[in-house]
Amino acid sequence: MALLQGRGLSKRFGGVQALEDVDLTVEAGSIVGLIGPNGAGKTTLFNILAGAFPPSAGEVLFNGEAITGMPAYRVCRKGIARTFQVTRPFGEMTCLENVAVAVVNRRQACPRSQWEALARESLAAVGLEAFEETAAKHLNVVQKKRLEIARSLATEPRLLMLDEVLGGLNTQEIQEAIGFIRRLRDERDLTVFWIEHVMGAIMQATEKVIVLDQGRVLMEGPPAAVVADERVIHAYLGE
Amino acid sequence: MMHYKWPLLAAGLLLFALLPWGLGAYHQHILIVSLFYVMMAASWNLLAGYTGQVSFGHAAFAGIGAYASGILAAKAGINPWLGVAAGTLLAALFGLLVGMICLKLGGIYLSLTTLAFSEILHIVINNEYEITRGTMGLQVPGLLNTYSKPGYFYIFLAATLLTLGIVYRLIHSNAGLNFRAVLNDERAAAALGVDVVRVRVLAFTVSSALAGMAGALYGHYLLLITPHIPSLDQQFLVLSMTVIGGLGSFAGPIIGAFSLEILSEYIRAYGEYHVLAFGLVALIVARFAPKGLVGIFRAVWEKRRQAALRPLQPAGRRAGEV
Repeated sequence: MALLQGRGLSKRFGGVQALEDVDLTVEAGSIVGLIGPNGAGKTTLFNILAGAFPPSAGEVLFNGEAITGMPAYRVCRKGIARTFQVTRPFGEMTCLENVAVAVVNRRQACPRSQWEALARESLAAVGLEAFEETAAKHLNVVQKKRLEIARSLATEPRLLMLDEVLGGLNTQEIQEAIGFIRRLRDERDLTVFWIEHVMGAIMQATEKVIVLDQGRVLMEGPPAAVVADERVIHAYLGE
Repeated sequence: MMHYKWPLLAAGLLLFALLPWGLGAYHQHILIVSLFYVMMAASWNLLAGYTGQVSFGHAAFAGIGAYASGILAAKAGINPWLGVAAGTLLAALFGLLVGMICLKLGGIYLSLTTLAFSEILHIVINNEYEITRGTMGLQVPGLLNTYSKPGYFYIFLAATLLTLGIVYRLIHSNAGLNFRAVLNDERAAAALGVDVVRVRVLAFTVSSALAGMAGALYGHYLLLITPHIPSLDQQFLVLSMTVIGGLGSFAGPIIGAFSLEILSEYIRAYGEYHVLAFGLVALIVARFAPKGLVGIFRAVWEKRRQAALRPLQPAGRRAGEV
């Protein structure tokens, strides 16, 4: 069953056609990768799906319901969470408070005792339990990415959209992160839509890969088929 | 230290409440005016310090409260206390309307719109002589049957405590989390389910209502309402008090309001340049000590505490530090 669908999505910024007629489907319960060379329109697509800005044309369906052009906070409340490629922590707030913002907007009239417990749980899930009282601006880049994921999880999403969360990790940490994301999917009944440049991770973790190039869908399919495809190799390496 | 915080505060408050009995009429007046500015600065800080929305219409909202209450009392013979309530409500309503119109845009647009709003209101009050008596000022009845400075002092003290209580409750509630999230990063806040426009409108409406109440009370204290209440002079004085005291801290506006009001009484002899001087100081503070006097006190306090603790602590980084 399709949890997220995009139909004919286009986005134009002035004279730049960032996306053109993009169709995509993310099946419920799957981990779908989104790859493509720099400037292919991956983050633009994420922004449209998450309601950061509306598409110039096309529509977005979530669980069969049209959410095209819905503002970001309502998309979030529908059950779509996203992380930012360049992390956006609330720097002056503690890590616990960062996650609490997600909790109190998900649950109406949530008293402090309750949001503290829920926020702690999300921080512990990403291994940041020692940093509850640390101001988010003091975290390092990798910890900030973990905080992004903790906040996203605290919105209790059905769909988690990850924008390059593996940057800056070493080989072993990447393996751990892949295991973590797969466990999240299995334990929390999540669907994951994942932009990633680390091809090894995409190969291991995803069931389907969508390739964007110059704002269009170049191809989609199982990861092994995608990396072997000549069009994809050309898109990355040139003719 | 935390253990003694509330008893200490209560004792300080009690001492402060006894002050009028040891002071003459002039100093009582300064205390009352200071309390008015505490209300203004604390409510402006709720908006500017906690959600990052810089409004230049705060004095204008005080003016709406003052004139609404004053006109109702002077022309329609309505009980001034009811007038204060009406002035507060009207300021809240105007805040809601202005907020709904321009808070979708945010940032500099709010500043520009409120600046224009403030000027328009000023011009209307100046020119609608029949109703407002323009720059001549409107004489209004007082809140007490017999005029008494200590009486006004306690009214203002109660209103200030109410204002501070509302601000404190708000910033320590879940709404306060949303305020700070919006202040730190609007886009991230929206992505986590925060209705940014609604959060801003809430802060703006509450802040305007509190300014309206302060203005209404102030008018009934002065007994003569002039366009000076909703003037940009007042606006920049309140801004300077908040910035110098400490933008975004609870104690900042209280400290800023008292120190600048008392200081301005001492330098009044040199002419009406004090707003200019305070503006310059506020600029310097904003550049070099963005957390104001409160931030400076806190840094000094922290340094002394660290120095006292050092011999007891092993070398190395503290737990939780990255």
